[in-house]
Amino acid sequence: MPDTARTHFQEELAKLEEQALGGLDMVVDALDRALETVQQRDVELASMVIADDDRIDGRYLEVHQGVLSLLARQAPVAGDLRLVAALLHIMKNIERMGDQCVNMAKLVPLAGHEPPSDARILADIQQMGEQARSQVVQCKQAFARRDTDLAQDLVRQDDQIDRLNRDVFHLALEIGDDADMREWAMHMTLVARCIERIGDNAVDIGEQTVFVVTGLFREFEDASHPELAPPSTA
Amino acid sequence: MERVTEPQDISARRDVVPPTPQVAAAPDRFERKTREAIFGLDEVQVSYGPKPAVRGVSFDIGKNEITALIGPSGCGKSTLIRCLNRMNDLIPGARVEGKVLYHGQDLYAPQVDAVEVRKRIGMVFQKPNPFPKSIYDNIAFGPRVLGMKGSMDEIVERALTQGALWDEVKDRLKTNAFGMSGGQQQRLCIARCLAVNPDVILMDEPCSALDPISTGKIEDLMLELKQNYSIVIVTHNMQQAARVSDKTAFFTVELDDEEHRSGRVVEFDDTEKIFTNPADSRTEAYVTGKVG
Repeated sequence: MPDTARTHFQEELAKLEEQALGGLDMVVDALDRALETVQQRDVELASMVIADDDRIDGRYLEVHQGVLSLLARQAPVAGDLRLVAALLHIMKNIERMGDQCVNMAKLVPLAGHEPPSDARILADIQQMGEQARSQVVQCKQAFARRDTDLAQDLVRQDDQIDRLNRDVFHLALEIGDDADMREWAMHMTLVARCIERIGDNAVDIGEQTVFVVTGLFREFEDASHPELAPPSTA
Repeated sequence: MERVTEPQDISARRDVVPPTPQVAAAPDRFERKTREAIFGLDEVQVSYGPKPAVRGVSFDIGKNEITALIGPSGCGKSTLIRCLNRMNDLIPGARVEGKVLYHGQDLYAPQVDAVEVRKRIGMVFQKPNPFPKSIYDNIAFGPRVLGMKGSMDEIVERALTQGALWDEVKDRLKTNAFGMSGGQQQRLCIARCLAVNPDVILMDEPCSALDPISTGKIEDLMLELKQNYSIVIVTHNMQQAARVSDKTAFFTVELDDEEHRSGRVVEFDDTEKIFTNPADSRTEAYVTGKVG
């Protein structure tokens, strides 16, 4: 039988998904600019990243309101219910990713005017940022296509971010005795941590993709039980 | 009424856990995960003529549970529920095949008294149908006919209390039941059913003629009653099935080569599963309202 009934509801639901996933495009823009801010130590651009987060917050409120409205008026069930629940969840992930970009931008002026820097740390952070950007794009594709393989592949990419994050930490420890340099390196470990969290949020969206498709929720990796994780291929 | 019994292999159970939503062949029997079974249905088929109205129904109905039967019009839900207290006996030409076991006993065995069956397995219909008598006499009717012992006043009070109606009518028991609101009349019918101490209550769209407040009261009442009774409800209201039932059976209509329509169970499972992650794509399409 053709899917002909409740077309208005289906259109509303599709529009809501489009709105939510559009939030990931905003995150990509914010992440690109936050990375440029860090690399160029551009305080003016940093203030733009911070101000533009209002757009992501606004999108969060729109989707949140849309989800409440659909729940109240349309009482979705089964696959529709899973999608609505997942949209609420991933929109929170998106909002948190936006906040991490803001956190990165806020760290730039704290590092001071023309601070010392270390090329190896900056290179690692750039690589982390590009990896996180790739994850954000991939989690959007996975969700939109309901592609569970693509969703689970996010773990592999996230492992690389985690490795780079540890590298940045070790480089910061070995940065030397100069107080300004140590302060800058400390700020860069915080930047790296922000990027690492963006990667984690992308993985969360991958988990929601699997939930929408299968109806079963499970974490790809359990931070409180790392011994249960499958062997890493990275 | 004619009845055909064929030997059935009750042990031929098949668990139904497909990995992802998909169209699956209807299983022989659905797994029942909890509680003692009050009804066991095995390959039940009901016909009103040469062709079956509903066929291949095999699942268990649990004690002290609310089991909802859902599906589009003509899928055989009402036909099936009427089998459970032999109401179809009253329809000329109706024929029941397969096994309907009640507490393990064949409900259609020759020695089984249909009147006794309907005393133990009461029924509430779509439209409230009080007798043209006082509230008191409506409740007392069944116990009097059955010659039940004990104080009739106590029987009436207990039934009306269980029916969540006592406080509303205790001061006007001798007034005509037709003076009650639709919701009160339906609760009176439930109380009338309870007065003869049934074991099971069958409800065929009990709230379809009621406003939301009255519907809410009936649903609250059902949840109270399931502590002591087993309930089977036919409903077209998906949200009602989701709100009140523990188990849900989804029926669909199939067309044979001669374009004859007959009902069939597609899926039977915990209500939560049916409304969050049904195993069959036809269930998914129906409960989400994409097809009817």
